[in-house]
Amino acid sequence: MKLIQTWLFALIAMVSQGSIANVMDVKLHYVGPTEGSVWLGMQQGLDEANLQGEFLGQKYSLQPISADELVELDSVTAILLATDVDHILSIAQSKQFANVPVFNMISDSNELRTACLANLLSITASEKMKHDAMVQMLNKNPESKAHAQGWHKDFRKFAASQLNSRFTKAYGEIMDDDSWAGWASVKLLSDTVARTQSMDAGVMLKYLKNDIAFDGQKGAGATFRDTGQLRQLVLIVENNKIVTEAPLRGVKGGLDSLGLTSCK
Amino acid sequence: MKLKQLLLSSLVLMSTTVWADPTYRLFVTNEKSNTVSVIDSRTGLVETTLEIGKRPRGIGLSPDQKILYVALSEENAIAMVDVATLEILGKLAAGEDPETFDVHPNGNLYLSNEDDAKATVIDPKSGKIIHEIRVGLEPEGVAVSPNGDVVLVTSESTNMVHIIDTTEHKIVANLLVAARPRGLAFNSTGDLAYVSSEIGNEVAIIDIAKREIIKKVVIDLPKSKPMALTLSPDDKVIYMTTGRAAKVAVLDAETLEIISTADVGKRVWGAVLSRDGSKLYTANGVSHSVSVVDTASSKSIMEIDVGKFPWGLALDD
Repeated sequence: MKLIQTWLFALIAMVSQGSIANVMDVKLHYVGPTEGSVWLGMQQGLDEANLQGEFLGQKYSLQPISADELVELDSVTAILLATDVDHILSIAQSKQFANVPVFNMISDSNELRTACLANLLSITASEKMKHDAMVQMLNKNPESKAHAQGWHKDFRKFAASQLNSRFTKAYGEIMDDDSWAGWASVKLLSDTVARTQSMDAGVMLKYLKNDIAFDGQKGAGATFRDTGQLRQLVLIVENNKIVTEAPLRGVKGGLDSLGLTSCK
Repeated sequence: MKLKQLLLSSLVLMSTTVWADPTYRLFVTNEKSNTVSVIDSRTGLVETTLEIGKRPRGIGLSPDQKILYVALSEENAIAMVDVATLEILGKLAAGEDPETFDVHPNGNLYLSNEDDAKATVIDPKSGKIIHEIRVGLEPEGVAVSPNGDVVLVTSESTNMVHIIDTTEHKIVANLLVAARPRGLAFNSTGDLAYVSSEIGNEVAIIDIAKREIIKKVVIDLPKSKPMALTLSPDDKVIYMTTGRAAKVAVLDAETLEIISTADVGKRVWGAVLSRDGSKLYTANGVSHSVSVVDTASSKSIMEIDVGKFPWGLALDD
């Protein structure tokens, strides 16, 4: 009798503990290299997502898979891609993923923005955004020999220095455009899960496209354009030193002075 | 006669040991000058500048207002200054990268360690770190409730307010708020707290007993980046600094609507209100100045030059 009582008690305790914890297990599928910048950036994002998850009850994991394995899947929360333009387009256009957020993390190809696919989200700054940033710079200083990029190890404003320092502390590498994009992609997704309390791909896509104001540690809350591009500033860099940020002061249109802004 | 004198002097002695007369000194940390400006708040004149240590940011007074504490972020320490004599009394070990703190009614300091995702509790009497609490990334704002039962900590990069029970030093709730939460303030009874979100450009009200957000409003002010919050003595009005918007926004504490704004210096961060609520002092980072705002008229009535990148303020009034 006593034994049964103890056993029952333990069982109840186990069940109730399970229901209190109620941890969401969020798997993010990824196709791309499992070493190098973008991978380390995603790992940093994952560490941060899981710290938040400790407090709010989510556990995130990355599931690296091959392009062939990906097309065999039919139910996923989100797809993270560090592959080529043709592959990204084919995944975003495939029927089974029509309502799944597909992240183009690191390709700056304009083609992925002009395609205007409803489920394709581009995280890194596009070629045209960087080009427009340089046009603004050359208007101000025609002699400039600078170029534009999305991130820089010396970027300090908007708490960028904190992100740079914790990434370097954790992985012994400097944060570059690709590692920032990998980090931002995972954080965009964990932000969405935490705020929607959902892992449903459709709910996530809707939230990402319409409601998110993401802290990419690059200033104002980042939102997505109709083109799927994440709005963000671009850094003007010369001799590996940040000269200024685009949009340049006085340029009309703010962040939308950079790149393709609309699908119309 | 002699007895009377004795009585009088012992009375004076007693009152000074219990509560010092206010010095009316306004203390300002200058993040990039490594100094604290000491201003006579009655005249607006800078009395002296103290060489305090590397990257001073958070600043506050002991409950009896006799000791000034200054967080030295790049020395991993808290400096202690005698408010009356301005003597630097020493430094307390504070864990990695202390940014800001609040003082518990029992005298202990609760501080955020920005680079280390934790909150630290220091007993200044023993100089020891008595607790460490794991929190989210880039912890920033800290506020102890008026009765000391709970402490709130914001974590900027995890978008949360942590509610920490001060008897067990355990997190009892985590509230998700808009991006990059920074400033915190309790009302006088401690049943409500307010939190600002810099990137989300939002202010939210927390019901402390229910441990939930009961209202949130997006701030309708161009370039606004909500930072420090402070409440009027009657709890009716919130004064909020707005960073790049170079204004103090005066909000109705119930509706969170903007009642008025006051122009202050550029990149305004820290703020402190006089005890009677008549004047608000702000630290204007990029203008390297302190603005004095007359709260009755919502107008800046004086701008005082201080060191480079003033960050926070404390007032002994």
